[in-house]
Amino acid sequence: MGLRSFIHSLTAPPFRHQDSFDQEIKMVLVVNNDLKMGKGKIAAQVGHAAVSATLKCGKKAPGLLESWLASGQKKICVKGLNATHLLELEKLATSKGILSTKIHDAGHTQIPSGSLTVLALGPDIESLLSSITDDLKLL
Amino acid sequence: MVLIARKDLKLSAGKLAVQCSHAATSCALAANKSEKRLLERWKNDGARKICLQINDLISLQKLAGQAQAANLITHIVKDAGHTEIPPGTITVLGIGPGPRRSIDALVQDLKPY
Repeated sequence: MGLRSFIHSLTAPPFRHQDSFDQEIKMVLVVNNDLKMGKGKIAAQVGHAAVSATLKCGKKAPGLLESWLASGQKKICVKGLNATHLLELEKLATSKGILSTKIHDAGHTQIPSGSLTVLALGPDIESLLSSITDDLKLL
Repeated sequence: MVLIARKDLKLSAGKLAVQCSHAATSCALAANKSEKRLLERWKNDGARKICLQINDLISLQKLAGQAQAANLITHIVKDAGHTEIPPGTITVLGIGPGPRRSIDALVQDLKPY
């Protein structure tokens, strides 16, 4: 091994980082469709979820966050049936080691205070996420 | 933080939500780099966000210029165009997190989306 490649082997990013670059990484945002929220309301709630999920990922899996940001921070938004459905999805995600973030509304405007509005899953590898979210419809 | 979306594009609810969250994450990450204390304060205060509507691209760009001139964090979202609209379309402008007074002064005429 030459000196240069030796130095590289010490300073190269960890393996998980490289590994996750090969596959698509995305964030899935599941909206509680049971609540009758206006478009703007949904957008703000999903924004809450995306920001919290991003900051969480930055703390727990920075490599994953970097690759997600580098690949255009892909996000998709899907419909969940109701609060119970969202909680079930959260359990599933946790069992597979996917990060999840729940958003409860402060209820200043359209809906009762404390309602579960959005569940964010990821960012994580697409194939892992799709095992959970494949049968959900786009919003 | 305010998220200002173009009304003239007629985006679906899901698309709008995703575009707004792009703006929100990018603004939050920018704040994380340049103004950490501001971000912390905003988060502790419930990470307040409002989604507003604006008539067209020109007014959006004008507002972005004003916000930058006022030293606020701004981010303009350009869509990759995989789905509903042509690639490169500017969809949403995110402003903040920042002092309520200076943001309100810019957006007081806009309606909630």
